[in-house]
Amino acid sequence: MDLIYLYCVTDNIPKLKEVKNFIADVYFFAYKGLYAVASRVSSDEFSEENLKRNLADLEWIKAKANIHEKAIEAVMENSCVIPFKFGTLFNTEDNLKTMLMKHIKEFKDTLKCLEGKEEWGVKIYCDMGKLKENLIGDDTELLNLDREINSCQPGKAYILKKKKEEIANTIVNKKLNECGQESFERLKQHSIQSRINKLLPQEVTERKEDMILNSVFLIDKNKVADFVDTVEGIKATYVNQGLFFDCTGPWPPYNFTKPEGNGWASNSPSHIMEEA
Amino acid sequence: MEDVITKSKDVTLLEILDRVLDKGVVISGDIVISLADVDLVYVGLKVLVSSVETMERLRGAPFAGAQEEEPS
Repeated sequence: MDLIYLYCVTDNIPKLKEVKNFIADVYFFAYKGLYAVASRVSSDEFSEENLKRNLADLEWIKAKANIHEKAIEAVMENSCVIPFKFGTLFNTEDNLKTMLMKHIKEFKDTLKCLEGKEEWGVKIYCDMGKLKENLIGDDTELLNLDREINSCQPGKAYILKKKKEEIANTIVNKKLNECGQESFERLKQHSIQSRINKLLPQEVTERKEDMILNSVFLIDKNKVADFVDTVEGIKATYVNQGLFFDCTGPWPPYNFTKPEGNGWASNSPSHIMEEA
Repeated sequence: MEDVITKSKDVTLLEILDRVLDKGVVISGDIVISLADVDLVYVGLKVLVSSVETMERLRGAPFAGAQEEEPS
């Protein structure tokens, strides 16, 4: 049995020629000025049960998530899109149509609001060892403590070492906060909307540095250059301190079409979409 | 300026997964993966359940209270 997999909704007739290269049967379903970009998928892969099984298969996820992203990106070339979450599936075209019918106003309003805007992401990573080394190297309180530790009794030295560690951690945390918070606040000035997402652990990022900020911004297309310049400026001030910036975009607006907390469409109450 | 990635092939899988699996519009489709499942996916990425704890810990840091920030 086939299911219908929904990638995105747009309000321009989508050009799917390129997408057909990697999703042979991609098509759009038109409904009153909205176009849902979808494809038929097999329930062998995507039924609830099989999907759960496949989610344990990293190679499968990699491949499918990539296809999902590429399809939406291709549609995005020519118009605004509302990207759906991975694995949004319908049993029948009628069900897809019912969903569009139900949300037509929110979708149209959202697409209108997204006109001329782009989503960008900024992640900051920290090499804790390097940062610590840098900060501690020129802290007078710690240098004095060091001198004391070297010249006192073992018992006292132990306590002082603990104290030293505590002070060092405070200094590092302060710096991390400053870097993360200040960078975010500055970048926010160049955006229409911004959001801090959860940090991802090293197991996921596969980087030796810790992620200290995972942020996303909705930016006026005309101001993207300013935004990127600002990132570069901030990056330069931290370049020797073990702090690294990853700036990527433009992305489909994954983070700025959700109902919860996106004030840019707040003057349209119909923007509230139902959670599944 | 030139080392700012303007999205291209070298955007990591992480960047894609961070969006495709976790974000995007959630609507009452007939089947939608739950968030809990997605966290399992993340864990599956590098094996081991212990990373759930790491994730919980990291989620709290570094600015408690600023997570999932409300828009201005």
